[in-house]
Amino acid sequence: MRPMKIAITGLTACSGCQLTLLNCEDQLPDLLARCELVYFPLAESGNTLEVKFDAAIVEGAVSTPKDLELLFQLRNASTHLVAYGTCALFGGVAAMNNRTSCRQDLLHTVFGAAEKLPESFAPAPLANYVSVDAAVTGCPPEKQEIAELVAALAAGTLPPPRSYPVCTECRSRENLCLLLEKKELCLGPVVQGGCNARCPATGIVCEGCRGPVREANVAQELELLLERGFGRDEIERRMSRFKPEWDYGQRR
Amino acid sequence: MAKNFLKTSRLDQFLETLRLFGELHAPTISESGVHGFAPLDDPADLNLDYRRTQIPPKKYLLPFREEILQCAGGKYREGNSGAGDMVLFGVHSCDLEGIAYLDRVFLSDPVDPGYSARRARLTLVGISCVPDDYCFCPEEMTSTACDLFLGASAEGFHLSCYSTRGRALLAAAEHLLEEGAPLPAATCSGPCFPPQDPDLRFSDHPLWQKFASTCVSCGACSVCCPTCYCFDVREYPGLAGGGTRIREWDNCLFATHGEVAGANFRPDRLDRLRYRFLHKYCGFTPLQGTSSCVGCGRCKAVCPVDIDLRELTVAPKRVQP
Repeated sequence: MRPMKIAITGLTACSGCQLTLLNCEDQLPDLLARCELVYFPLAESGNTLEVKFDAAIVEGAVSTPKDLELLFQLRNASTHLVAYGTCALFGGVAAMNNRTSCRQDLLHTVFGAAEKLPESFAPAPLANYVSVDAAVTGCPPEKQEIAELVAALAAGTLPPPRSYPVCTECRSRENLCLLLEKKELCLGPVVQGGCNARCPATGIVCEGCRGPVREANVAQELELLLERGFGRDEIERRMSRFKPEWDYGQRR
Repeated sequence: MAKNFLKTSRLDQFLETLRLFGELHAPTISESGVHGFAPLDDPADLNLDYRRTQIPPKKYLLPFREEILQCAGGKYREGNSGAGDMVLFGVHSCDLEGIAYLDRVFLSDPVDPGYSARRARLTLVGISCVPDDYCFCPEEMTSTACDLFLGASAEGFHLSCYSTRGRALLAAAEHLLEEGAPLPAATCSGPCFPPQDPDLRFSDHPLWQKFASTCVSCGACSVCCPTCYCFDVREYPGLAGGGTRIREWDNCLFATHGEVAGANFRPDRLDRLRYRFLHKYCGFTPLQGTSSCVGCGRCKAVCPVDIDLRELTVAPKRVQP
């Protein structure tokens, strides 16, 4: 069987998602047997973009002309484009203030009064610019989920999605409900599960790093949190930490 | 007079005897304060004064997630049920009835291999309980769907056995027992909330709209229900080739539950709630006409928005104009 030609790279991001893939030590030998890593600048030198890829696995948000250029190149050269991680899917941490801050001000804060500022625009998900064929959410994603995705691509398919909220796994693990019992600002009901309720299991609320679950009842979650005494600003700040755009009136 | 009374002071010794019949699991409290069935390594961890565990004992028979098939090198093998002998001690009547219902689902033709393997090795020891505000079982309900039942009194426990295995437990613990007063007959078995008319799910009760708009679809009611058994089956290719088929609890409150290629049988939350009502209180073929609600009160206790589907069976209060 011909190994899949793969590109793995990042746009505006922390490289944490790519590192998660590198941390799958147990699966790496099998992964290398199934894939030819043609382009993986984080892990190796001598990369080339001058081939056709079976899949490009892309982490990060799009926020510079260079991001955009690389994204278009990979899209054109790849059969499958995978949005890898929360930033690639929703904008992520880099986009949390998209609704409240002006890009120009941010650039001045970082680079001072320099005359020539780098070109940059509000960080946005890949799908705002190109079509995306598959996604792995999480900040960072679960090792199992990226391994599943690569295995499925190698088998010529895509893995079946999980589409339940964090609460489902959280309750099943017999955790204390932080929203009901401790009246904390937990986003479990509206956030995509699959993490095995990693944070609530250790007593930390769900901060929503995996983005919204399908058909989230956002309006009711907002009401629940307001009833528990949290302010609208505080709630919106928490919710936009990993995804700036929520429809707070959405009930389905 | 038969020896059927266990003094409270001998409970620890009795538990030790139970260990002869399998790994002992019992109600305990976790570090964060959640009630749950867990292995009882130290009898001091036993918490018999519990109202309900967050997750019912169904977790032992139908685990949240299990591998049911492995495929490699063109060959298949069934997942290992991993079942050893187990004694589940201190189960309330509602949960015993919950298991009895699951038995009807999974042990009827065709038998579910994983479930039946685990069920065959499970010994159930029930215990009487004190209901709280969330419970809706008839008072003094005593389930006989167990091997042995302990009716608590001030000085100890009246033991009744309901199976051959139960008699074996009694025989093994005979030296710990004394003669007790004759037992009152077991009162009630079966579902606690009566079967409902399936047409009720299409009623124009205003609560339907209210529930549909407030339900956050967290799925807790179904996850924590002792008789919810819907599951999803998914297949994941493996990196080394081959693949794994898993079974995981599914949930009628999720968009994917009624989804098929190109459409969804239950496109919105209202449809999903109506479907839940139908399955829970009216039953499906071949359990049509059977309510599977055992009155444990978990759905009400864990719902973040206080939904109680039973309210739909009561005529709405007239609002004065």
